[in-house]
Amino acid sequence: MHSKIDLDKLFNPRSIAFIGASENPFKWGFIIVLNILKGQFRGTLYPVNPNMTSLLGIPCYPSVKAVPGSVDLAVITTPAKTVPAIIDECGEKGVANVVVISSDFSETGPEGARLEKDLVNRARRYNMHIVGPNTMGLYSAGPRLNALMPPVAPLDGGLSMFSQSGNVGVQMLCWGNNKGLGFEKFVSSGNEADLTCGDYLAYFGDDEATKVVLAYMEGINPESNLLDVARGVCRRKPVLIFKGGRTDTGGKAAASHSGAMAVSSRLLRAAFRQAGIIEIEDSQGLMDAAKAFSTYPVPQGNRVGILTRGGGWGVITADICEEQGLVVPPLPDELMQRFNKILPPFWSHGNPVDMAANILLEPFMECMEILAEWDGVDSVIALGGSIQGVFDFDAKVEGTKELKETVVLAREVAREYTTQHDVVLDHTKDLVDRTGKPVITVTLGDYDGFKSDLRDHGVVSYATPERAVRALKRMVDYRRFLDSPVEL
Amino acid sequence: MNILEEALKRGEKTLSEHDSKLFLAEYGIPVTKEQVAVDEDEAAKIAGEMGYPVVLKGSGSELAHKTEMNLIALDLRTEQEVRDAFKRLTGHSETPVKEVLVQQMVKGDRELVAGLTRDPQFGPCVMFGLGGIFTEVLEDVSFRVAPLSRWDAHDMMEDIRAKKILNAFRGKPAVDREKLADILVAIGKIGLDFDSVKEIDINPLKVLDGMPVAVDALVVLDDGK
Repeated sequence: MHSKIDLDKLFNPRSIAFIGASENPFKWGFIIVLNILKGQFRGTLYPVNPNMTSLLGIPCYPSVKAVPGSVDLAVITTPAKTVPAIIDECGEKGVANVVVISSDFSETGPEGARLEKDLVNRARRYNMHIVGPNTMGLYSAGPRLNALMPPVAPLDGGLSMFSQSGNVGVQMLCWGNNKGLGFEKFVSSGNEADLTCGDYLAYFGDDEATKVVLAYMEGINPESNLLDVARGVCRRKPVLIFKGGRTDTGGKAAASHSGAMAVSSRLLRAAFRQAGIIEIEDSQGLMDAAKAFSTYPVPQGNRVGILTRGGGWGVITADICEEQGLVVPPLPDELMQRFNKILPPFWSHGNPVDMAANILLEPFMECMEILAEWDGVDSVIALGGSIQGVFDFDAKVEGTKELKETVVLAREVAREYTTQHDVVLDHTKDLVDRTGKPVITVTLGDYDGFKSDLRDHGVVSYATPERAVRALKRMVDYRRFLDSPVEL
Repeated sequence: MNILEEALKRGEKTLSEHDSKLFLAEYGIPVTKEQVAVDEDEAAKIAGEMGYPVVLKGSGSELAHKTEMNLIALDLRTEQEVRDAFKRLTGHSETPVKEVLVQQMVKGDRELVAGLTRDPQFGPCVMFGLGGIFTEVLEDVSFRVAPLSRWDAHDMMEDIRAKKILNAFRGKPAVDREKLADILVAIGKIGLDFDSVKEIDINPLKVLDGMPVAVDALVVLDDGK
């Protein structure tokens, strides 16, 4: 059985030796060094290349053993066949961990697999651990360590991710930048010759700076302790896994064609669920759920209050809620009376609360407050909460002088109105804090303010009710898991 | 468990329906009332004591697909019907049947399925879903890896598309979910307790007045070779 591996020196190294450092801007040995420097790594970087004395103004060393200080982490980009000897050198130097970026190992065939096994055997002699090989590197916010292949600079935040695909993982970092979602740690697990997803999960589980764990996985290494680890971690923090290679979703054709594969994919999903892992079905959904989990409290139950500025969207939202197993409870009389006082007589008189084309902010905020404070619901979805992007400020108008002037005036009013958007967002956040319930807003329009909603106001908003409900459903599932008794 | 050991010693690949149920019953899984009869008179006597209607089934470890082999006589209401059915089942030319199972006729109002399968990576896994003759077609089943917590078992019931079938239905009471959870947890436990149990197939697991009962069951053995 696996024992817990202390990866603190991996994610918080004081010094890095970069073996395979290069002056050629088209080589990873240059690009990653640049990423580390641009990221302003807080420790010391020692580029290693026997043919150079300096790189980007930093002294370069002929070998890892020639480095003057101690080395916590070695990053290796040299060709596969040179790596075993370098592993020995690192071991003799007393390096704690190595990141093998180099590819051409088990992913290319039996010859590569033998070479990979050799790496692991050598590293174990020195009690050293390996990330990869064939990894896209790692990121850690604390020491400002950005040893990634692509030049992405993640925002600060509480998400930590391990990914069996470097590309998918790095894409999530990029999307995070657009959406305002920040990362604490990231590792591309590569071929998992030594360190596996279970080791990363165990570390992220104990890591206080990590609030939510994300992962992209395609399979599970039979040797991995991931599921055992997950059973413990999931009780403490949410673990969201986007599982690729779900062959049975393509329908029965796949099941009859490769029955064993299909069953085992189903079993993996079942095992995830039993461990408390939240399975996510698509890439956008992973980030949507990450946003909700890292920003809002987990709701106490599955009852949803829906507020909408227009009837159709309320209907659509209610549909998805029911399909996803969420409950949209009827309003009690007392609440009806309160809404009657605020809304025009033709409001929906029920949940969803349809404001019937009332565009004013005050009643919207009041209704949102009444719903959030109602003890009959555990969460609120407010459609039309973010109103930016609804108004077209730039459209040209032809016609009479009066018409043109009126349009200009209307625009000013609209502009003024839009600036009050912040008031709605801050009110929303205040309701979340006060009630402990997620209040999710849906913009219903093309909108570029999601990042600001999140980072400046702490509000979770989505472009469509489908995405809002799906993210909420994940939280409700997690609540069910948290409320389930622990059985030994 | 003597039933298992003896069957393995005899080199059998499966337990007979009757032995499968005896085995499952030891884990608290409710099964139909039934007894083996070796001759016509015994069959009639058992049926009389059990109460009509009854079912007669050809019995033996090699008889896994009794419906396809036409080795079942359903809804027998008189002693004469039992005697006629016994003659027909034992007079089968291709498959010599020496024993006949006399079984309580459970009409039930819903058909479920429960079972055990083994995965090279996850080990014993419990299956639950919509049962009866359409199991394979509808494929409305859920899996969990053993051991199952009670929560896992309840979660499986929520997992199937046809989950409403477990609720009160056409004037029939809701299925006793706690009893169902007992069964699913027990199946997982069998998988962990006995490496020699390769598969379990309880189909149908019928619902009678809200209580699930195994009407047909098959335990597939693995001698480890």
